[in-house]
Formats: sequence, C-alpha cells, structure tokens
Amino acid sequence: MLRSARVTDGGIFVRTEQDRAVDILFDGRRIGSFWLQRDTRAAGEERKYPWPDALRRFLDGVTTLSLVDHVSEEELFSAEVHLGTGEERIRIEDAQGNPLGLDKSLRLMRLFESRSAEHVKPLLDSMEAVLAALEKAGVEPFIAYGTLLGAVRDGALIGHDSDADLGYVSAHDHPVDVMLESFRLQRALVEQGFAVTRYSGIAFKVLVEESDGTRRGLDVFGGFLRDGMLYLMGEVGHPFEAEWVRPRSRTTLEGRTFPAPAVPEHLLEAMYGPTWRVPDPAYKFETPQSTVRRLNGWFRGTRVGQEHVWGKFYGPGPQEGPQGPSSFVRWVRAREPEMRTAVDVGCGYGRDVMWLARQGVEAWGLDFIARAFKRSAKRAERQGLPASFMWANLTELRSVMVTGALLARQPGPRVVLARHVADATDAAGRAHLLRLARMVAGRSGRLYLQVQTARTPGEGERGVKVLDVDALLAQVADLGGRVLERHDLADYEGDDAPDSSSAPTICRLVITWNP
Amino acid sequence: MESLRTIARRVRDRGGLESRIEELEAEVQECRQLNLRLAELTDVVMELLVPLADRDEARVAELLQHYRDSVNDPPVPGPR
Repeated sequence: MLRSARVTDGGIFVRTEQDRAVDILFDGRRIGSFWLQRDTRAAGEERKYPWPDALRRFLDGVTTLSLVDHVSEEELFSAEVHLGTGEERIRIEDAQGNPLGLDKSLRLMRLFESRSAEHVKPLLDSMEAVLAALEKAGVEPFIAYGTLLGAVRDGALIGHDSDADLGYVSAHDHPVDVMLESFRLQRALVEQGFAVTRYSGIAFKVLVEESDGTRRGLDVFGGFLRDGMLYLMGEVGHPFEAEWVRPRSRTTLEGRTFPAPAVPEHLLEAMYGPTWRVPDPAYKFETPQSTVRRLNGWFRGTRVGQEHVWGKFYGPGPQEGPQGPSSFVRWVRAREPEMRTAVDVGCGYGRDVMWLARQGVEAWGLDFIARAFKRSAKRAERQGLPASFMWANLTELRSVMVTGALLARQPGPRVVLARHVADATDAAGRAHLLRLARMVAGRSGRLYLQVQTARTPGEGERGVKVLDVDALLAQVADLGGRVLERHDLADYEGDDAPDSSSAPTICRLVITWNP
Repeated sequence: MESLRTIARRVRDRGGLESRIEELEAEVQECRQLNLRLAELTDVVMELLVPLADRDEARVAELLQHYRDSVNDPPVPGPR
C-alpha cells in the first residue's frame, strides 16, 4: 500500500495512491491517525503529512515510528527516527506522565485507549449522574455521537476518543421552544448542584467533579424533529422518523447499560454516514452547508470565537497579571471624583478595578474569562476591598440583561468603563455593551470607552480590531446616547500616557445617556 | 440566433441572480438569528421581568442572583 515512507522534522512523507486511515505509533504506542490522501498534500513525488501543531513541541528526540493500517492492523512502515536535536526517547505525556494522543480534532488528549478500567469507572459514573439529572429535569436523554458509536459497534468506549457525549430530542418542534427548554434544563441542573457552561442556544457542558479531583465536562447536545428532519447540535440535519427516537432503547457500554434512541443505527448513520460501522480514528464531520447554516442561524452566536482568542491569551488556571492602574482608569478617575460605583466591562486581570476599590469606589469587574480576575477577586476579599468580580458574556442577551439589572441597583452615580472592549467583540456584542452601559449608568452616570482606531505595532495580538468610530457613534445615537468628549490619541504601548503629537491610533469617548 | 447583445445580457442577469441568491441567503440567516434573541428575551421576561414587578427588595435581589447563577459560567476551580 505504501511504496515508500520517510520522516523528517517537517512531517511524514509517503508515496501511495490509496486513501486509507493510518495510525502513527511512537515506540509502539498510537499517537494519532491520518488519511493517506485526504490529510496529506502533494510534495514532489510524495505526499506530505505535516506534524499537527499540538504535537510539535514534543518532537525532539528518538522514537521507533511505525505506520499501521487502522482497519487491517497491517504494519506499513517502521523505522528508528531522530527528530530535532534531542537524544532521549520522545515521550508524549502530560505533566503527570499520563500518555497523550491526538483526537480527531487534532488536540492532544488522554485517550480512552490509554486508560484502565479503574480510570473509566468515574466517567461512567458521571455519565449516569448527568443522564439522571437530565431525566429528572424532564427530557429523555441518551448517549450520543462517539459514545453511542462505541456502544453500538463494540459495547465499549472508542480507544481514540477522549470524552463522552450525551444528547436528547426535544418534544418541541420550534427552535425558540427548544431553546427555552434548554435554558430551563440549565437552571434545573444548576439547582441540582451541577456546574454548567453554555455553548449555544441548545448545547451545554456539564462539569462533574470526579473522585480523583479531576473536573470532567460532559457535552449535552439538544435536538428536535421538524418537518421530517432531525436537527441535533452540533452536526446533524437528517431526514428522520419520530419512531427512531422514542421509545428509547438500552445499549451496553463497558458492561453497563445506557439509554439510546429507539433505533440507534439510524442516528449513527445521520451522524457518521452509511459507513459508520468501519472504524475511522481521523473521522471528519462532513456536515452539509445547509445544516451548518441552520444550526448557526438558529442556535449559535453566544460564543463567537472570543474564547479562542482570550482563553489563549490568559492561559490555563488563575493568572497573575500586571499590577497598577492603566492610564485610561486614571483619566476616568480625574473626571469622576464623585462616582460611587464603577463597572469595568472586560476587566481582564482586574487591575483597574482594584485601583478604584483602593480609593473607596464600589468597583465591579466583568469579564468573559473568569480565571483572568480570579486572583484579584481573592486578593480583594482578603484585603476587605470593595471590589467584586462577575463573569459576563456580552454576546449573550440574558447575561447582559441580568448583569445590568443587578448593577443598576448599586449606589449612584455609576460609571461604566470599557477599555478595548467595543473593539474586541462583534457588532451584537457592541450593541449589548452600550445597552448594558445605559442600564447601569442611567441618567446620572457616564460611559467611558477606549477603542483602537488605527493599526499599531503588536495590534491584533489580543484580538483587538481597528474600529470604525463613526459606526460606533451611530450605534450610541440609536440608543439615545450623546458624546460629551472625544479624544483621538496616539498610544503606542497601550498603557503609557497617550501621546497627542503623533498620528492617532486610539479614541477615548465620554458618553452620557442624559438627553 | 440570439444577438451577442442578448447573450451578454443573459450572462449579466445570471450574475445578478447569483448575487441576489447570496443576498437572500444572508437575509434568511438574519431571520433565523431572531430565534435565539426571541428565546433569550422570552426567558428574561418570564423569569425576571414578571417576578421583579412584585417590588419586594430582598426577593428581587435574590431573584436576580438566582437567575444570574443559572446563566453564568461556573466559578473557576483550582488553587486560590
């Protein structure tokens, strides 16, 4: 099947006409898989499979690299390979020494194949707990996607999978009712003590603390039947009969039984196509564009890529950020000696919130990445400072409304600050930022904005885009706001005192909602 | 035989049709997006606006907090 293969620091080079799923093994352990044609590109006479980004930092040392046909298990290639300059055996492991492998989205994960039965037990327990909670909340959940596939095909978790998926088909048939039901489900689960993160109008992740202290997220995908079609977040839009869903059946997974749709084979075909019985460790969903458009249009838009940018920026876990006030907050403070309450939208690490709190202002920090402000929040608590931090999502109307309603009840005058927020969110987020500011500041307070208006070196690193100020001002006017001050300034480093002599790159605005 | 001019117009029209379809697709998508907004708004009205009208201070504060907890991301775990 392979006429030749060689391995370099750039990737794996093969000569072949066939397109098969092939496993990559390092010292006999599977690291990932790829399709010989689909996942490679022409490089002269050969096809090149570039190393996935997630793997690169490990590729320094020696390993016996083998390529094995995933279905027939035939070894196609094996050689001792030197990568980078290292002399040690290459170990693809996490900090605790647990073996990692690439999942189908090319993320390095702890895959099921590297887990023993005792490691799988907590996952099965969590699945049962969340299924029971969903059932109690009034829907008929079942195992879905790769979890259902493994159960029906082999009665086991799929070795190259790393998480478990649950789903349900709503009794409603209108997208609005299906979303309202999903909101109710989230409330019910929170009331039952679960931690929940919402991803879209009908999908969320339930976080379960397992006995060994690790926190596992189980995805719960909502779906509904409408006009002979089943739509199931996040990949399915397929002709479907109601009898294939209810009454639910039972299926066996790792020796326990779990709920499944009435005819799980039909759902598997809708999820993975007619070839779902053939294992494919590098499976890529080929969701039709019309389904993607429908699911996007109906349900998505509350997490629009900001996590991708800012999640990376703030890194994992609670973070220590820069200390001391920004020049922006000092500028605001000089104009607002009387303010009682300050709300910093997009507060990041919370440095400006802490600075205001130290001056006796009731200061609130809002951010979408809660771990960014976690350390400041703890510090404020220890030091008894009037600083509070809350998670908020500008692209989710419910979050904006309830946050606005809460903060509007704080003592006035209330001032809202947003430094590089309007230029970091999308149009809906900007509209919601202004609405939030209007709710919070009311007639007595003001909104202070700083936005990027031209490129500066380093711009784009933090997901801040150049903003059309005129369009923003039109949005402000639409909401009944009025600009009291506008300053176009040069601001090279972002934090230094702005310089008014060079070409302007930022704009500062003071806005009132008092006509 | 069609004149060159007629053919040219037809080709132009076909281009116009394509851009019209693109526009229509965008408009359909805009309409779909109302579903999420409508669901969010309905949820806010049912869960917040109506109960908030009772004007009992303590209950209002509790209600807002409760609703926020059900919308929020969970607190960050880990050290400190």
